[in-house]
Amino acid sequence: MARIEAVRVAQEPAYAASLSDADWSALGQDPDWQMLVAEQSEMLSSVIAVHGHKLPGSRASDVTAPNAIPVAAKVVGTAVARMQGLGTVTSQGQFTEHLGMAGMLFMRTLRSRYPHAKIKSVDTSKAEKLPGVRKILHRGNLPKEYANVFIGAAQPTRFLFNEEVFEVGSPIAAIAADNEHIADQAMRLIDVQYEVLPASLDMLEAMKSTTPKQFETKEAGTIIATTPPLVRGDPSNTRADATVDMVTRRATEQHAPLEPTASLSYWDGDKLNMTYNSSYSHSVRNGLAQALGIPQNKVRVFQPGYIGSNYGYRGGIDVSEVHAALLGKLTGKPIKNLYTRYEDLVTRTHRPEFRNEVKLGVNKDGSIVFGKFKVIANVGAQRAGAANGAWFGLYNLYKIPNLLLEAVDVMTNSYKSGPYRCVSHPNGTFALEMAMEKASYAIGMDPVEFRLKNLNEVGNPDTKKPFSNPGIRDCITAVRDAINWKATWHAPKAKQVRPGVFHGVAVAAHACSHGGGGNTVSGQVIINGDGTVQLVSASNEVGSGQRTEMMMIAAEALGVPLNQVTITPYVDTDLMTDTGVTAGSQQTNTGGRAMYEAAIDARQQILSWGVKKLIDDASKKGQKLALTVADLDLQDGLVFEKRAPATKIKLAEIIGFKLTSIIGKAEYIQDPKWERTGWAAHAAEVEVDTVTGTVKIINYIAAHDLGKAINPFMVEQQIEGGVVMAVGAVFSEEMLIDKTTGVPLNPNLLDYKLPSIKDAPRAKVIIIEKPKEYGVFGAHGIGEPPMALAAPVIASAVYNAVGVWMTEMPLTRDKLLAALKTAG
Amino acid sequence: MTIELYDANTVKEAVDLLKKHADRSAKVVAGGSDLVGGIMKDFVQGKGMPRPEVLIDLTTIKDLVGIKVAADNITIGAATTVSDVVDSKDILAKFPILQQSAASVASPLIRNFGTVGGNINQRPRCWFLRGEDFNCYKKGGDFCFAVTGDNRYHAIIGGELCYIVHPSDMATALLALNATAKISGAQGDRTVPFDQYFTGPREDVLRENQLKAGEIMTHVVVPNAAPGTKMGWTKLKDRQVYDFALISVAVAFTVENGTWKDGRVTLGGVAPVPYRALVVENALKGKDIKATIKAAAAQIRTVARPMSLNAFKVDLAQGLIERTILEALGS
Repeated sequence: MARIEAVRVAQEPAYAASLSDADWSALGQDPDWQMLVAEQSEMLSSVIAVHGHKLPGSRASDVTAPNAIPVAAKVVGTAVARMQGLGTVTSQGQFTEHLGMAGMLFMRTLRSRYPHAKIKSVDTSKAEKLPGVRKILHRGNLPKEYANVFIGAAQPTRFLFNEEVFEVGSPIAAIAADNEHIADQAMRLIDVQYEVLPASLDMLEAMKSTTPKQFETKEAGTIIATTPPLVRGDPSNTRADATVDMVTRRATEQHAPLEPTASLSYWDGDKLNMTYNSSYSHSVRNGLAQALGIPQNKVRVFQPGYIGSNYGYRGGIDVSEVHAALLGKLTGKPIKNLYTRYEDLVTRTHRPEFRNEVKLGVNKDGSIVFGKFKVIANVGAQRAGAANGAWFGLYNLYKIPNLLLEAVDVMTNSYKSGPYRCVSHPNGTFALEMAMEKASYAIGMDPVEFRLKNLNEVGNPDTKKPFSNPGIRDCITAVRDAINWKATWHAPKAKQVRPGVFHGVAVAAHACSHGGGGNTVSGQVIINGDGTVQLVSASNEVGSGQRTEMMMIAAEALGVPLNQVTITPYVDTDLMTDTGVTAGSQQTNTGGRAMYEAAIDARQQILSWGVKKLIDDASKKGQKLALTVADLDLQDGLVFEKRAPATKIKLAEIIGFKLTSIIGKAEYIQDPKWERTGWAAHAAEVEVDTVTGTVKIINYIAAHDLGKAINPFMVEQQIEGGVVMAVGAVFSEEMLIDKTTGVPLNPNLLDYKLPSIKDAPRAKVIIIEKPKEYGVFGAHGIGEPPMALAAPVIASAVYNAVGVWMTEMPLTRDKLLAALKTAG
Repeated sequence: MTIELYDANTVKEAVDLLKKHADRSAKVVAGGSDLVGGIMKDFVQGKGMPRPEVLIDLTTIKDLVGIKVAADNITIGAATTVSDVVDSKDILAKFPILQQSAASVASPLIRNFGTVGGNINQRPRCWFLRGEDFNCYKKGGDFCFAVTGDNRYHAIIGGELCYIVHPSDMATALLALNATAKISGAQGDRTVPFDQYFTGPREDVLRENQLKAGEIMTHVVVPNAAPGTKMGWTKLKDRQVYDFALISVAVAFTVENGTWKDGRVTLGGVAPVPYRALVVENALKGKDIKATIKAAAAQIRTVARPMSLNAFKVDLAQGLIERTILEALGS
């Protein structure tokens, strides 16, 4: 069976139609598909509408959602520090970057310096003579069985070593040497002959029919896919009192986590062992097995649970990990493959460059008449999708009776697109909220009132799937009141606080698909002989703290104290079952949900063995006891009869009676009936210095409806962290290329300007809890939503301050000063 | 690709080692944050910028470390750390702008390692120079990629051939304070005022200062300012920690009844050298500062030749000159 290319399934109707039933079954387990389900469900909606019944996921879990929050909750809702916190801040935790092994070799990769070229020859003779060089792998000596192995989806295809390279950084040779300096030197001794080909570097140029094709396609230029438009009502023939017409743009961003991508791998006979700082170890396992042509149980992937974060781009392998595995096989040595910062910034994925062409028609009474949004995404040198992900908020947040949504994904010889704390919701929200803000000023209506008037609080207007207890109105009114809107809001440019410095304020709202769940998952709860509880889950920790949260969920569901429960920080695919990717803000409602159900299963078993033990105890005394599970309860780790609560049985006694551990387990497939939606509103006050173009955030408030905060401490950190990351993209983060050569200009942390702690605003967090029927204890995930609002809320506050519309991110001082000059 | 590292004990020893290993492109090193952690790590090299095979550590020379206060000046050893300058009460008292400029450098970790000599003599931060794939003039190539490329951070004044901006914050402050560099070499010792210390690309595109092959900057001497001198320092950067100046302004001037008597206005981040804005100084000389400042600051426009993407830096320079002088003047 040929490998199924998940992205093509989503983007090419003909390809999807060609798949057999067996293919559809296999697709449910495909790592790329799992990633799309978790992170980019919008991309799948049209294909699932046609073929969804063939997917295994159409069978939903039959356990009723545990949305009720126990009245006497003892663990859920309390502030608990992350289990890895101390190890992380002291670096005593073992990060992949720091791991080593006796006899290991260091890997370096020689990469293309051209954005589009044919590799005519690779001469490694000089490099191979360098003492300490053990093996150099390249297209010329790649064992034949790997010649057609590729990553992702075709076309343009990313083979292990391409003859035609489509990006700067495409691998040309992988070197294993005794240390990284030798590998570095060897890299510079390899002679590569290129035939340079015309590159497509500009997204709009790439869409033109005159642009040379780089792969077979019926689309113009290097367009990857045009999504069939979403049409609601009659958007083309509707008139409004005022029409906002604008183009918004966002630049390419990168995650830049503290720990670059790193792996340490070795072969034990025919079994590959790889420690890898991934967010989805089972995807890594399956990807390696697929690439190497070996069974999944011949690959063990380990993730230590201490990781310098993820933010979305570590869901699977890249070709470099296959190179490492092959070099290990060919040399018989462990291979350490630590990406350089350049490699991590350039060759992994990015939040892509976006352009939105927006029209929003509104009437003077404050009602929205129509909306037209064309979203264009520059997905870079690969087959990927990003544009239509922006649609979710556009079709859900406000009542827009006549709506046209278009989406185009364009390939260029540039930075590749992929999840980055979401992919495209921040882009959609930027476009929508800038248009909403501008519309409110155009009709002279208070921007907050305008939003509240138009909120959609029912469900998806097109699919009719309902929202569950949406808290968007609460979010907006909470930030409105917290920022003292009535007192702080004013006419544009009306409040000068110091010479040349103006005050501004704004509110923005957000709806996105993340946090609801998605992947099929499993979990286990083991009750040990001494009554301690051990949790088993392959949900990869990426810094968000979900493994701590799982302990809290299990402790609450079981009725045991938190300090009686442990979970490993690490994930080991040899010992654990697939629990989906830590992405899409989903692990609370995937891994966490499975853990809840496993705990319920274990609790039932405990109570049922409790019944047996009590009956047995009585019979030993010659008494006959009539007892069922319903007569027993488990609280604070002790089992007791409800009618005689003074007599407690320890869990250890129950296991002692049973003789073997109790294993509670669960599989969970989520039901598709809800439009699972994350809701948020942010408010910001800024001071804009018209001399320097500096925008200073003086007050920032973030309200999120997450159903129930399982651990409010970590929730606050997630929101604060998300705001800081987003502010980086608002003011200074932008992956640049030289427009002539296509070479990256700022692939280092000095020139790719992440905000420093002194630049970070301290967001005041407001947690709104409107329990969701689908959520664990009513919870909805929180990882990604905080990223989406800083851009529109700050740009709108800048408008309120100085009266110019900044519709292009990042909002740098050169753009702001130019806009002020134009405005006069 | 091994590197030999020598610990020099005296300036003479360092000078001798430089001469002895000249054919292996010997370089002196102190904190190493730019030379080792930047230039060498990133393989910034070329025909005109050979990769050093020998490094000579200056931090082991006792005479080069420390701040010496004399009656009429302060002498700072080139291997004194930036943090030591930040922490010096004498420097804070006599030359607050030097202390402020030092405190604005990079991050605490880099200031703890980086030295005064290293800060003044570091190589520029042009992304074409620093990129391995751009063989520009400074590396011995025959092109400046900033001319047609992304030049938002490049020179607005004095660029020619090469459009780098000088990266040193402390040099900008020291130029305003009329400091002097002490230099040692095989030919003996000499002193060069900061007014002449820096070299633009027109003079020699391969270097940024007057140090000849085999010479070392050993000390910086800062003369006491005239009593009552007003000083001001501004560094505008896109990130508050670990960032170079988009524009920096250092001013030191004397005033009589609101009138500018004498003084200096220097700019960082605008030109291939720390730039002395003589047009502004001349426009202020003998004039009432508050009445003249707007027109005087605007004089910077007469010498600015911005590139395709950096005209905003001219506005920033003008605005910050005005603001820095007025703040120094006080109300």
